[in-house]
Amino acid sequence: MGQEEETFLILTALAGGSQHGYGIITDVEQISKRRVRLRAGTLYAALDRLRADGLIDVDREEVVDNRLRRYYRLTPTGEKRLSEEADRLRSHAHVATSRLDVSGGLATT
Amino acid sequence: MTYSTHLARRYRRLLAFFPKTFRREHEQELLSVLMAGAAEGQRRPRFAESFDLLRNASFMRLRRIQLPSSWEYRHARVMVPVRIATGIWLLVLTAILYGSGHGGWWGALLLPSAALHFYLVYRVTHTVTS
Repeated sequence: MGQEEETFLILTALAGGSQHGYGIITDVEQISKRRVRLRAGTLYAALDRLRADGLIDVDREEVVDNRLRRYYRLTPTGEKRLSEEADRLRSHAHVATSRLDVSGGLATT
Repeated sequence: MTYSTHLARRYRRLLAFFPKTFRREHEQELLSVLMAGAAEGQRRPRFAESFDLLRNASFMRLRRIQLPSSWEYRHARVMVPVRIATGIWLLVLTAILYGSGHGGWWGALLLPSAALHFYLVYRVTHTVTS
């Protein structure tokens, strides 16, 4: 899995509302139908990068069972980036499916 | 926010590889996530988990290596004629020493020095700078 897909999935997880680190991992697992399980080091390297780029920000912090939980949320820039990325993927997927339909049609005749 | 277990200590040792600024910001929550993902009674980090931490820590460190500043680029470019002159002077000096029979081991010092000056001139003039 490339860094681009990781980023896309993390932003998608946060699009549903703010989440803490472990929440993002389980959510990404669900979104990807158990195909992608982010590892902690990769997740925090990505969160650090996304925050520096202004795509996400810290929403709030909580201490649960003596453990620090920091919740992240999408910034307006992050929402815009995710929506552009979703459009791009949708248009690629659309072209791919329509071409496969055409060649599939030719193959049967 | 203290974990005293054996597993947490092992994780902390791995987290020590991350750059200090990153650790100050994320060490506690990263440890929380690692502990939340650990199995009941797990005593040591899983190999894949350790590998992922070390991989990301080294990427982060590599990315933080600074490029030369614009002042350093300018200085290097100003030094080009000085280096050419010095290199030629070292070659002339070598020729004079050997010509008068006083060469001895001086060549071993002077020729590499001259070569280094010319190499630096080559590097500076053939490096694309932004």
